[in-house]
Amino acid sequence: MTELGTIAMEGPSDAHPATAQVALESKGFLRQTLATVGKRYTARLGLVWIAILAFCAVFAPFIANSMPIAMKWKNQWYFPLFRFLTPADVILQIVFWTGIIVYVYRPRSSLHLIVLVSVILLLSILAQMLIHPPGPQKYSEYLLASRSGKAQSVWTVPIRYSPEDHMDDLQQLRNSPPSVHHLLGITNGKADLLSNMIYASRIALSIGFISTGIAVVIGCTLGGLMGYYGGIIDLLGMRLAEIFNAIPTLLLLLCFVAVFEPNLYYMMAIIGLTSWVGYATFVRAEFLSLRDRDFVHAARAAGIPTWSILFRHMLPNGITPVLVSASFGVAGAILAESTLSFLGIGLTGEASWGGLLNEATGEGGNFYWWIALYPGLAIFLTVFAYNLIGEALRDALDPKLLKQ
Amino acid sequence: MLNYVIRRILLMFPTLLGITALVFFVMAYSPGGIGGQALEADAGSDSAVAAKIREYYEKRYGIHKPKIVQFGRWLNQISPLGLEIKDDGSLGHFGFKAPSLGDSMEQNRPVMHLIRERLPLTLLLNLVSIPIVYILGVATGIQAAKKRGGMFDTVSNATQLAMWSVPTIWAGVMLIGLLASRQYLKLFPTSGLYEVEAAHMAFLPHMVNHVLVRGYLLDVIWHLILPVICLSYGSSAFLTKLTRGSMLENLGADYTRTARAKGLPENVILYRHVLRNSTLALITVAAGILPSMLGGSIVVEWIFGIPGMGQLGVHAVQFRDREVVLAVTLIGGFVSLASQVLRDILYALADPRVSYE
Amino acid sequence: MENRFGVKDLVVFILIGIVITMVGLCMAQYDRQWELIRQANDKIDRQTADLARIQNLLARGVIAGPTSQPAAVSDAQSAGFERILKAESYPDYSTGDAVYDTFMAAPAKLTPLVSQEYTASQVQSFVLDTLMKRDPDTLKWVPSVAKSFTVSDDQLTIDFELRKGVVFADGSPLTADDVVFTMDFERNDSIEAIRARAYLDKLARVEKTGDYHVRFVFKEPYFMSFTIAAGTEILSRKFYSQFSPKEFNESTGLLFGSGPYRLSDPKNWHPMPGAPIELVRNERYWGVPPAIDRVVWKVIPNPSARVTAFRNGEIDSYDPTPEQYNGLCADNALVARTHHFAIEVPNAPYRYIAWNEKNNGEPTRFADKRVRQAMTMLLDRQTIVSDIVRGYGSVNTSCFSALTPQADPSIEPWPFDVARAQQMLTDAGYHLENGSLIGPDGKPFEFELNYNSSNSVLKQVAAYIKDSLGRAGINVNVKPGELSVLIDKMKARKFEVYLGGWSGVLESDPHQIFCTDAIAKTGDNFVSYSNPELDKLVDQARSTVKDELRNQIWHKVHRIIHEDQPYTFLYIEKSLNFVDGRFKNVMAVKTGVNPLQEWFVPLTDQKYK
Repeated sequence: MTELGTIAMEGPSDAHPATAQVALESKGFLRQTLATVGKRYTARLGLVWIAILAFCAVFAPFIANSMPIAMKWKNQWYFPLFRFLTPADVILQIVFWTGIIVYVYRPRSSLHLIVLVSVILLLSILAQMLIHPPGPQKYSEYLLASRSGKAQSVWTVPIRYSPEDHMDDLQQLRNSPPSVHHLLGITNGKADLLSNMIYASRIALSIGFISTGIAVVIGCTLGGLMGYYGGIIDLLGMRLAEIFNAIPTLLLLLCFVAVFEPNLYYMMAIIGLTSWVGYATFVRAEFLSLRDRDFVHAARAAGIPTWSILFRHMLPNGITPVLVSASFGVAGAILAESTLSFLGIGLTGEASWGGLLNEATGEGGNFYWWIALYPGLAIFLTVFAYNLIGEALRDALDPKLLKQ
Repeated sequence: MLNYVIRRILLMFPTLLGITALVFFVMAYSPGGIGGQALEADAGSDSAVAAKIREYYEKRYGIHKPKIVQFGRWLNQISPLGLEIKDDGSLGHFGFKAPSLGDSMEQNRPVMHLIRERLPLTLLLNLVSIPIVYILGVATGIQAAKKRGGMFDTVSNATQLAMWSVPTIWAGVMLIGLLASRQYLKLFPTSGLYEVEAAHMAFLPHMVNHVLVRGYLLDVIWHLILPVICLSYGSSAFLTKLTRGSMLENLGADYTRTARAKGLPENVILYRHVLRNSTLALITVAAGILPSMLGGSIVVEWIFGIPGMGQLGVHAVQFRDREVVLAVTLIGGFVSLASQVLRDILYALADPRVSYE
Repeated sequence: MENRFGVKDLVVFILIGIVITMVGLCMAQYDRQWELIRQANDKIDRQTADLARIQNLLARGVIAGPTSQPAAVSDAQSAGFERILKAESYPDYSTGDAVYDTFMAAPAKLTPLVSQEYTASQVQSFVLDTLMKRDPDTLKWVPSVAKSFTVSDDQLTIDFELRKGVVFADGSPLTADDVVFTMDFERNDSIEAIRARAYLDKLARVEKTGDYHVRFVFKEPYFMSFTIAAGTEILSRKFYSQFSPKEFNESTGLLFGSGPYRLSDPKNWHPMPGAPIELVRNERYWGVPPAIDRVVWKVIPNPSARVTAFRNGEIDSYDPTPEQYNGLCADNALVARTHHFAIEVPNAPYRYIAWNEKNNGEPTRFADKRVRQAMTMLLDRQTIVSDIVRGYGSVNTSCFSALTPQADPSIEPWPFDVARAQQMLTDAGYHLENGSLIGPDGKPFEFELNYNSSNSVLKQVAAYIKDSLGRAGINVNVKPGELSVLIDKMKARKFEVYLGGWSGVLESDPHQIFCTDAIAKTGDNFVSYSNPELDKLVDQARSTVKDELRNQIWHKVHRIIHEDQPYTFLYIEKSLNFVDGRFKNVMAVKTGVNPLQEWFVPLTDQKYK
């Protein structure tokens, strides 16, 4: 194990892996690395925070919602919270529980994986088609009934306000400091800050993962092609990489966001598009050295298609610096999204930590410290957590430290 | 070596071309097109008036020409060798001419003037931050490496990743809110680079009627403190870690052991031998520091109300002001590429083992 | 080994670098001193020239006493100087002191005609004169440079008679030549007078009919003709003909005129980041001189810095937002030492919701008038005013301000009446099903509400609209967007509902916004509202030059717009101002606070020299 471990760690490897079995055994190495990472307490702290965030993201409607779980009104029981769940909420639940099932039962072969993925997809499509929450008139009916005391036996979730609830019926003032009813205070839009932050965790996590995922995919593909074929593809590719590297990123992001509307999915794609260069460089360096190896020649002689050589044989060898970089990349993506929202350019319509931070300085020179402290703290802790994990990964994979 | 440098400089041009083309076409195809806002500044006024204004913009800036033609014209404008542009807009003969960055649609002034006003402010901010970043980062790193595992080391280790993770937007807002606002401590000014009265003050602090007047220099420094802190804490934390890692690596190397065995004092080993060899790692990242600061300074300028290049760029993109956006991209891209070339040259100078032949 | 770059060398380099930087800074400092000396020298030169002129006059026996007025203003009554003259009669009247005002952003150019910003036009209004000006209290035209005027019967020719004795800031007289020069200058193609020239389309020619007589001839009767002729700011032929068109276009500070104030150096002004913009008294002003010596504008982009500056007394005049206004009023010490005003002005901007009637060629739900009326009745506009504008505003009923003669005073705004609105919707074929309003086409009633994302007030209004309409079963998707993107959508007529505002003018021309021929791409009728009767009336009004007749037609237009509700007009804001208390004779007039030329500061309270 140590033999192979050394190979995969030292970047451009110069030992001789025997066969294409390298791919499978790398997975074992991966598991071992993750175990090493998990032992460090800093990484554990980071993972704990991310787990909290993930929990908040998945169960957000059950933690903070203006709709009660159950209430008795006009001698009939209603369950508004469940009626008003959106397809997105339900899909997140499906994904979460499937994840739990995978973790517990650990499918061995790829067949199980494919079945699982298709089940998720099917359920998601069904959810999208079948779930239709009732219209806004019913929403305000339930809201008024539950809050004004007309209903009896109202069971609510811990935080009684949704992020879009502007509390017109409660005579709340904008920008109020934390109090018993509103643990973190009230925002500029007359909404509860804590519930805004909980729902904003969805955006943060999803942008982090998906945009980094996109960047990794683009980077690995382009880098792989550049490294494997060399020649003119390499030349052009390096120019492209230089261009994307040298562009003032924020400016490019601005331009892109201006082209597409500030939609969550577009934002993910855009942030991914601007950060693929690092991954491509790593993969290219790897492939440049790997492509003259015996096992590659052997694979080519055996007639294995090129894409298979690239992604099933060569890539697992070079994936390690990409993983480290990806962890920092997720942190970077979250920072980028927060900055864009802060500048007023990104997702202005939905709850987002950066957007909340923007409201912290009021017009009269007032400083609403709770609106500045808590969202900023959330961004900081998330970025910190990913950086810790990245650090731990890097230390686990660093050959020099391992030697000592 | 000289060949290499010339080759790198020549390679900058196609890259710059690519950068500006990318930004231009993304902006051109965005909703609003080029100069979108300029045409609507008079919305609601008489239709004949609005039509006249549109006609004027079309004639002067060629907004509705095909996009590739517009880009071509801009390229022609900035190159010292090209088709001469006469005063009425038609093209003259091919030859040497004075390159020009064009005029801003929104402000109706030459872009060069805008940049002349704003670039010094951004440069001031960044150039003051860079030495601070390096000195602070390297000094902390050395100190941490000297007594590895000691108190200073553990504390700095724990804090440096945290400092690197603090988002600039949060740091800026909190600093202003706590240190500069009316409600809490009013230690620092909230915005701008100097108070208005300072323009009339003498440079150095002096006494007027037995009252100490701050003077222009101190006033600017006082205004710069918070923005520079915001801009430099992250990079200096990063440099600390890098220095420490590199120093530790070298402290464990063979030649250090030899030097100790020979009886050299620890200080001499540290500063004359180990530090020099550690700077290689620092130089590798140096190329990234200036461009990342330029990016970070967009946020800092926005928060602290400093009218620099970052604000100019953001505003120009929102206005789709073609000339300004291209000029800002050109400058930003040039700085990035130039710092990369500089980094490679420094690398070759610092490490005699590296050669580019 | 010997050539190694050591720490000592580094230290030497750093020291050399510091020395070079200090030398550079010293040179900059020296430059600034030189600039100040030069300005002082200029001032001395001017004063010497003036002294020489006065000595000359004295030698020739012309006595100039402290109370005599320059010959030009014998009939001060009709020149809009009444309030200044009244102030001069107060016992503590004294000249001197300066007013420090503030700009959000520095104007890039002060040169007239080529500058485009509102801030630049504010500065220009103190330096340049117009033929006639509007009295800020009565809103009527009063003579300024022109003494009187006559309009021909066919409404196409306007003759102005100029006062004698009007001089520019350098002493040269203002004659008909200057007026003709100004108009020709504006129409010169090589001068980039974008906006000015666009308005001159209907002007046939301007000619000099005597040394002090000017004639404007228009191609067709147009109700704005008089405004165009009388409101043109007059440029000095002697000064401005020195510059080639290219120099003029590229200049930043060529601002020179006959007004009560002037730039201290009209040829060399450049915008300097952070530097204030200063106007000094025009000693040779032909009219009743103002009491205030200087007007200074500090550029403070940051809103909280502005309010702090006002609290600290660093600026004298401040226009707060409603939230800030309340905050300032709550500070008793501050209220005691300032004047504050909350004035309803006729040229206030108004906010509106535009219901698009034809999206991408397809008629929408809002093509039905009843739906639009119902939308208006579902919104409690009074609550919007009291919550979002803190009560400093009022609901308006059309694009005509209720304070102008254009609006019909008998028209009341649509009430906030949910029951009636729901009845109207039922009549239009809508019914409530499972919490959503379903339309006659069987689809639920939902739409996208667009607004400018950089406007935080609109964000609050949009949230309110979403909640109010949601209570009736209408699903509103709030979509903030960038201004350029929004403009694009509206130009292409591809949007559903837009929340925005138009700026206010003293006399509004609805042609561009509500007439049928403005539905074409060049017009701003982006909701595709069409009412032939309205078109007819508006055309009639535009060619009626007589005010009383025209206003009667505007009343009819008002009634139609009110009935049809192409927009839901939300509210107009009051003009909120704070002025430092040391200024006397500060009062509210129709258009806001009276101009600062009418203020004065008693000698004992003066703050600036």
